[in-house]
Amino acid sequence: MGKLDNQPQRFFQDEDTGYPQGDAIKQQIDVRNRRGLWWRIFFMLALLMAIASLVALLATIVNDAFGYVVVINREDPERLALDVVAMQLLSASNTLTSEDDNELADGVAANPNGIGFFGNAYYQQNRDRLKLVAIDGDLPNEETALSGAYPLVRPLFLYTTADILSNNQAANVFMNYLLTNVNAEIEQVGYLPTSQEDLTFSQRNWIRANANLGLQPGQWAAINPSGILGNFTIAGSSTVYPLTDHMLAAYQAAGYEGVYNNQSVGTTAGIAAFCDGKADIAAASRPIQSGEFEVCRKNGRFPQEFRVGTDALAVVVNAQNDFVTNLTQEELQQVFTIAQTWADVNPAWPDEPIYRFIPGADSGTLDFFTDAVYDARLSDLSKEELARLLATNISVGRGRALEREQRFFENALLFESPDLWNEVCAQPPAARPTGCTAPVRSRDNIYDLLMTEVVKPDVVKTYTLLNSVLNRRAIQAEAAESYPNGDLEFRAWVNRDFVTNAQSSTPELAGVRTAILGSLFVIAVTIIFSFPVGVGAAIYLEEYAADNRLNRLLQTNINNLAGVPSIIYGMLGLAIFVRALESFTSGAAFGEVTDPTTANGRTILSAGLTLGLLILPLLIINAQEALRAVPNSLRQAGLALGATKWQTTWHHVLPVALPGILTGTILAVSRAIGETAPLVVVGASTFIALDPSGPFSKFTTLPIQIYQWTSRPQAEFRNIAAAAILVLLVMLLALNATAVFLRNRYSVRM
Amino acid sequence: MTNTVHSNGHIAIQANNMHVYYGNFRAVKDITLQFPSHQISALIGPSGCGKSTVLRSFNRMNDLVATARVEGEVLYHNHNIYDAGVDPVEVRRHIGMVFQKPNPFPKSIYENVAWGARVNGFKGNMDDLVESALRQAALWDEVKDKLDQSGYSLSGGQQQRLCIARTIAVKPEIILMDEPTSALDPVATLKIEELIQELKKSYTIIIVTHNMQQAARASDYTAFFNMDEDRAGYLEEYNETNELFTNPKNELTEQYITGRFG
Ligand SMILES: Nc1ncnc2c1ncn2[C@@H]1O[C@H](COP(=O)(O)OP(=O)(O)OP(=O)(O)O)[C@@H](O)[C@H]1O
Ligand SMILES: [Mg+2]
Repeated sequence: MGKLDNQPQRFFQDEDTGYPQGDAIKQQIDVRNRRGLWWRIFFMLALLMAIASLVALLATIVNDAFGYVVVINREDPERLALDVVAMQLLSASNTLTSEDDNELADGVAANPNGIGFFGNAYYQQNRDRLKLVAIDGDLPNEETALSGAYPLVRPLFLYTTADILSNNQAANVFMNYLLTNVNAEIEQVGYLPTSQEDLTFSQRNWIRANANLGLQPGQWAAINPSGILGNFTIAGSSTVYPLTDHMLAAYQAAGYEGVYNNQSVGTTAGIAAFCDGKADIAAASRPIQSGEFEVCRKNGRFPQEFRVGTDALAVVVNAQNDFVTNLTQEELQQVFTIAQTWADVNPAWPDEPIYRFIPGADSGTLDFFTDAVYDARLSDLSKEELARLLATNISVGRGRALEREQRFFENALLFESPDLWNEVCAQPPAARPTGCTAPVRSRDNIYDLLMTEVVKPDVVKTYTLLNSVLNRRAIQAEAAESYPNGDLEFRAWVNRDFVTNAQSSTPELAGVRTAILGSLFVIAVTIIFSFPVGVGAAIYLEEYAADNRLNRLLQTNINNLAGVPSIIYGMLGLAIFVRALESFTSGAAFGEVTDPTTANGRTILSAGLTLGLLILPLLIINAQEALRAVPNSLRQAGLALGATKWQTTWHHVLPVALPGILTGTILAVSRAIGETAPLVVVGASTFIALDPSGPFSKFTTLPIQIYQWTSRPQAEFRNIAAAAILVLLVMLLALNATAVFLRNRYSVRM
Repeated sequence: MTNTVHSNGHIAIQANNMHVYYGNFRAVKDITLQFPSHQISALIGPSGCGKSTVLRSFNRMNDLVATARVEGEVLYHNHNIYDAGVDPVEVRRHIGMVFQKPNPFPKSIYENVAWGARVNGFKGNMDDLVESALRQAALWDEVKDKLDQSGYSLSGGQQQRLCIARTIAVKPEIILMDEPTSALDPVATLKIEELIQELKKSYTIIIVTHNMQQAARASDYTAFFNMDEDRAGYLEEYNETNELFTNPKNELTEQYITGRFG
């Protein structure tokens, strides 16, 4: 070879070697590369498609598992808790209650050790006889009320309906007159004016009911009351009463010629009367509650809210009281409940009994006061308090039924009379209700009862996550419009309660605890049965079985069994485990049957064994593969040392194959966890709220639960099905994580 | 044809009219051969002539091949190891084997050596046994500080010596070696060869090799195998190594050892 010239070096001569020459080489390589590229693109697209479908799957589930919901509680749980506080207030020593605030003002005025609270108007009327108490250093006035420094500020409302306004001219024009003039007049009564914004909102409600006037929102027209005839009734809050009374007098003075009836009966009673059709306008010192709203709606009345003023509730003592000028919120809490004497509240104060004058149980003022001053949550209440709440909120008949199911207290009956109870429990065991012998209900159980029997949370509308994120405003508007009495909240359907609650027919309260436990039990049986059997069979086939026709047939059969539809295994399980081995799978053979409904063999054991059969072929094939992957040199090494076959297999072959066997087992078990069809055939229970306690229990599993929920019509079941799917996915992930851990732990490096 | 050797008179193992079949295929035919004890015997011959097959027949490793079948007899202490009552496990306990590719267990170095002893019911001091086996395999100094490390952490030559140590630990009488150095570099090969010379004092060694120099320099006796037209292997010539290499009686032998065929 001479020196290099400018020509590219030729490595191959131009002889005919049968291969491309010169430029053709490059071309030919290009063609091959391009072909490879196409395949590469195809594989990438396939991968993308797989990823996309997985993401879409997960997104659909997550979309349903989270999002806004509108919940309507039959009873507001916070209100219930505050009712307990209210009961404490009402039953405190030396406490006088009245729906008439005048009586309260008189009472405090007459008693040097008196203290009370009521609408500011009544204080204004009795300024000389009473002394205003500051709360946390703030006295009630327009400034502290607006800034929020004074805690006892509350809105005053009137409620009526569009129907009433369009049918009752006297009431309609009164509302117009009031909404026109209330802010000018209200300070004379002793209350604070409404903000322009709230007033405009109220006026808009009126305009909507008077569409014939052709007013646009934002416009306002005062109607002259002169000559207006007709009668109407206002009923409700004694706090609002002075305001309505004042405005009615002015209305009359302006020319109204009908007869009005203004009743001071308390907010609750007033709203009840209004919803019953006994009053045209309800006066309220608190917003209408969702339960009240529902009653109204059932009676064909759709209450509309009119904000008419603001009250800074006055806490007052006798004018001669020279030691109380300020109370902290904590002191305020004590003064009206547990404190007996002034000294109990503050040692510097006289050791004389406190005389309390508070609004009665029907008054909105009491509700407001407890709400503003006390923190109460249902979940903080004691068992006794919860039981008392339950007792006051459900019928005696229902209470008896619950008590017969399970007692509330060891040594007291909440609903039943002792005589009847003894009589009922004296019956022979078969006729005796379970409550006679069952342990008493726990606090948590009573709490749950309170939720299901009284609070009855009802999800009336659900929104998907996507919707919730993108259209928050619109959803808020829609919820406020369509469900004014509902609470819009963001709900994660999968949460702690969902995981720990038992099955329930109410989607809001349903949980997957039973299903999770069921799945775990069933899978435990499956693994205990199929792992040793599967690995054992694989070892036999791989290490021991001679290569003869029988074993080849066996192998072919196993391979085919892996492809048999799972429903067939269900039928097999039904025939073998449920029917043929009934006495074994029901536990009867072991004298284990405590629950007659499991005597039919439709138990966790049957389910687990069925799933075990289902995955057995997979396990065997996979374990065989793992064993086959163990290099033969290892077996030879062991045997050449004079070890027996079993020693070699156990000490060297199995440990090397184990990671592979475990991986395959996890895959198979994951499949078993997700199985539904065979379990339906074997007889999963459609509804059990009782946790499984062992292999002979009835069972349900997560996929079964999901399957049942997805087939229910109500939208919320779709949400909890999605939540349950997430739980299932987490379970599978946990299982896989365990597998990875085990594999790393036991894998032997070759 | 020479197939009996008279040295100090002790025969470790001998094959009498041995045929080995794989299914219907006769891989070796009519082998009659005696291996003197405490000597190194080399098996040489062209690829596929059945050296490995013959070697495996001596500790019944052929049993692992489902189709393999041995006819004739292999006498070990005057017992035919293919007699019905003989347990191959016991045969292998006395006749160990070292393979072409190092195949330590995926376990610690210590465990690699101790395992065989343990499964065979060794009652003595295991630490001492491991140490002496590793010393005999000339590996002790290299691994004494890392006995708990994996056998796979060693180099190829070290791994092969570990495999020898492991075989020594069960105290066999005969060690069969199937091309034990073919996967090793020249230095590691030399080391193993030296080791084999050392081992000869305590064990009878039968070694298959493709390396003429190895056979010539490291063995006392050499058996040359060849194939007939049916591809069945047969023993062409067997003699003291010196004799066979300097003065082959057979023309084919001469051609083979001088590299003219094979
Ligand atoms: N497991 C087996 N099944 C079937 N035939 C086999 C098997 N092992 C070896 N043979 C055949 O037996 C004959 C001898 O093989 P063997 O491995 O003993 O040769 P060898 O002399 O060791 O060759 P090499 O020098 O290449 O290792 C060959 O024809 C081979 O194809
Ligand atoms: Mg060979």
